[in-house]
Amino acid sequence: MSTRILTKADLAGLVADLLSAGTRVVAPARVDNPQVAAYRPIASFDEARLDGPLPPRSPKEFFLPPTEVLLRWQKKKDGIELQEVATEHPKQVILGARPCDVAAVEILDKVMGWDYRDELWFGRREATTIVSLACRGVDKSCFCTAVGSGPDAQKGADILLVPSDGDAYLAQILTPKGQALVEAHAQRFGEASGAEAAKSFREAATRKVASNLPIEATKLSGWLADNYEHELWKRLAMRCHGCGACAAVCPTCHCFDIVDEPEGIDRGVRRRNWDTCQAGKFTVHASGHNPRGTQNERFRQRVLHKFSIYPKRFGELLCTGCGRCARACPAGMDLPEILGQIAKLAGAGVPTGGTK
Amino acid sequence: MNLYQPYLMRIEEAVDETPDTRTFKLVFQDPKVAESFDFQAGQFGEYSAFGEGESTFCIASSPTRKGYIECSFKEAGKVTGALRKLGVGDTIGFRGPYGNRFPVGQMEGHDVVFIAGGIGLAPVRCVIWNVLDQREKFGDVTIVYGARSVGDLVYKRELEGWAKRSDVKLWQAVEPGGEAPDWKGEIGLVPAIVEKAAPRSADAFAVVCGPPIMIKLTLPVLEKLGFSEERVFTTLENRMKCGLGKCGRCNIGPVYVCKDGPVFSAKELKALPQEL
Repeated sequence: MSTRILTKADLAGLVADLLSAGTRVVAPARVDNPQVAAYRPIASFDEARLDGPLPPRSPKEFFLPPTEVLLRWQKKKDGIELQEVATEHPKQVILGARPCDVAAVEILDKVMGWDYRDELWFGRREATTIVSLACRGVDKSCFCTAVGSGPDAQKGADILLVPSDGDAYLAQILTPKGQALVEAHAQRFGEASGAEAAKSFREAATRKVASNLPIEATKLSGWLADNYEHELWKRLAMRCHGCGACAAVCPTCHCFDIVDEPEGIDRGVRRRNWDTCQAGKFTVHASGHNPRGTQNERFRQRVLHKFSIYPKRFGELLCTGCGRCARACPAGMDLPEILGQIAKLAGAGVPTGGTK
Repeated sequence: MNLYQPYLMRIEEAVDETPDTRTFKLVFQDPKVAESFDFQAGQFGEYSAFGEGESTFCIASSPTRKGYIECSFKEAGKVTGALRKLGVGDTIGFRGPYGNRFPVGQMEGHDVVFIAGGIGLAPVRCVIWNVLDQREKFGDVTIVYGARSVGDLVYKRELEGWAKRSDVKLWQAVEPGGEAPDWKGEIGLVPAIVEKAAPRSADAFAVVCGPPIMIKLTLPVLEKLGFSEERVFTTLENRMKCGLGKCGRCNIGPVYVCKDGPVFSAKELKALPQEL
């Protein structure tokens, strides 16, 4: 699709236009702690921190909220009355999200849509236009290039912004939804220029990330499936507390629980809440039997789900290399480092040279 | 209706099978759903006690019996505790049917052996009635059922009925110490009783369900008796929440039990990581 140029002033104008039209705009934005940014709805462009630090949590919560109501029930004289929840959502634009976070949303479409279509997920998907921003690479924990992505990956985005000359962004329009946004705000977008500057930005970022973990994680699936009982799992899981911080910050972790909550004596809600395969009770049977009774098995499950189970099922890795799990782990479990170990064992330590 | 919205069902009958196990006969409140609802032997559902949550059970009645479904459950936690407090006329939620099925069609013309332990008879009972309701289509029918004690045997009235039938060979067993003074059945564990019963294995099918350890020890016995591992089926009862292949709970290796299962052949089980 086509390319346009968007200056920072026009981007601010675009945000103002969207907000005044009643569209919710979510962007990495200032929070109380000046060291941190968080994806949240903004009230003006000034609140956004597009070039700031990587938000500790991905924007998955705008598609799969940490907790959401699935239905409401009320006891009546002659039984139970159920009230459905809306599966249509007001329009939102996610602006300035990192390519790793945006790719995750498209990856999750597969599990949310196979055979049974999760309307709560897709309702939000349909209402959302994603304008991502190419990343300069954050730190040593980034490994998007090792999972087939990259700091300028387009996957999941409707429009990809790449920093270009001066204050401008090169806007790559990738989908009909992106096209519609540009057409609706045509006066904000100029004729494309500055492709060279954007190219050098992308190359520098890709080089930086690729040097962190020069492997191809797609090649680990076979080893993982064949080495279920490898001593590696026991050794690695010794450190794991099973706290689930990795899953909470992960853009692709999507396991959930379904629970009922009373809202008075005769009414209540059923909720879906984020959950994690790292929790000890995640798989406990009614009998008390637990097929994943130790942390070894639970940690292995997380790695296998991402690098073997999901790829086998859905044809792609359940990981976008954002590195959040490594940054968040209180015990210093470092997934890129672990993948490096596995790649060595699997004989898959193939330098990618930053190619996609 | 979104995926997680249950149908409402009225409890038509409630039977206490044992001191902690109950069977509900359930009828859809909405006559249109009642008419269109269809399922196959082996499928399961998510049953809910509003205010407490959902629990996963198989459909324990046979698809040959239309207009209602039955489920049997043991009180083990919050939801089953709440369900057990409900009685005739009360409303529960139901989502389903989910999952794959027992290949009942393929079993036609062959001997079928049913092996169950404890509450594991519930999913097997669904297939038993599916077969018995079309008895003429099948060869010999053998049922081996064991429980911890006489008090733990479920579907007692049906067991009596099967015992009286000349076209069913029923072996009932309780564990040593679990017998009552008037117990006439076997005393021992299910795998040993299967070995003793030694049903004919040529071209025969077997359906096995019970605690993981019982399944684990019964499969080698069937192999020894000559059953083909492609004709031995079991149903796994992994913990589930959504039943729809999304919540990530029921994986065994690459398999989503809720969608690829819950019914698996012994051959398929062997290929799975031993994470049962």
